[in-house]
Amino acid sequence: MTTTLEKIKSEDTYQINGKTFTSRLLVGTGKYATNELMGQCLEASGTQIVTVALRRVNLDNKGEKTLLDFIDPKKYTLLPNTAGCYSAEEAIRVAHLARATGISDFVKLEVLHDEKTLLPDPLATLEATKTLVKEGFTVMTYTSDDPVMAQKLEQAGAHAVMPAGSPIGSGQGVLNPNNIRIILEKLKCPVLIDAGVGSASDVAVAMELGVVAVLLNTAIAHAKDPLKMAHAMRHATEAGRLSYLAGRIPKKLYAQASTPLKDF
Amino acid sequence: MLFFIPRKVCLSMKVLVNGENKEFNDGISLEELIRQLGVRKETVVAEVNRQIVQNDQRPGWKLAEGDQVELIQFVGGG
Repeated sequence: MTTTLEKIKSEDTYQINGKTFTSRLLVGTGKYATNELMGQCLEASGTQIVTVALRRVNLDNKGEKTLLDFIDPKKYTLLPNTAGCYSAEEAIRVAHLARATGISDFVKLEVLHDEKTLLPDPLATLEATKTLVKEGFTVMTYTSDDPVMAQKLEQAGAHAVMPAGSPIGSGQGVLNPNNIRIILEKLKCPVLIDAGVGSASDVAVAMELGVVAVLLNTAIAHAKDPLKMAHAMRHATEAGRLSYLAGRIPKKLYAQASTPLKDF
Repeated sequence: MLFFIPRKVCLSMKVLVNGENKEFNDGISLEELIRQLGVRKETVVAEVNRQIVQNDQRPGWKLAEGDQVELIQFVGGG
């Protein structure tokens, strides 16, 4: 029996708060040289969920094209973030503004502690998660890779828990795979790696751990050739997922011959 | 005695928009303010004094002196 790759991929879906997705790569829309390039990269990445931010309208650039001229909300699920918020109150306000657009009730919740590390404030993150879940948002929470915190967030009702592989924009990959393994063992809700991946191999490693998806931005936007990297990330996500599903061989200390022993 | 009382056809008031002081006609609606600023209304979320004003409420939402208006839109982010 042969199973085509397309069939495997189409049957390998996941859900976030009841909404079904097939692409396991979530892509950010920040830091691109142009919005045109950003649009091309989203297309090449095969993503279905894209993160966006909310900021003041620049009153000096009246009538200029906006991000939504380059992203079709019918094609992509928009995941507004609360980046730049340093308190639960601020993050909740931004989530309310995002929902008021009428485009999405998803929120990528991040409540940060300080600008240098961009590490999350766990207590404020937990508080904001509880509030936004009660208010009916689909809450995807950015957190550190602490397994205890991840469990607290799931208990608070987070629809997805998204530990950082390494600090935002650092490109260091998944620094503590054991913590991710423990999180995956403990949680039932979708777990995504959010932030820190720098290359296609980082994405493949993350996916091989068994997370449902990877969210990245800088790794594509700041690559020398973002469009090529968008293609690479798509393939790496799929390769990592297939490798996880296929099940790797155990690592051994000594050689195991692949060719039958000589018998002549 | 007769006093000349100037007829004020258009009173103006100050409104803080995205942190900038701007002058508008007295009693201007939020919808009209957005139009006068040349901002594309379909892509904007508005707050007045930290309270979100839904799109369909904007035409009837009269602004007052000193109101703080925030006009927010989606931008790129990760």
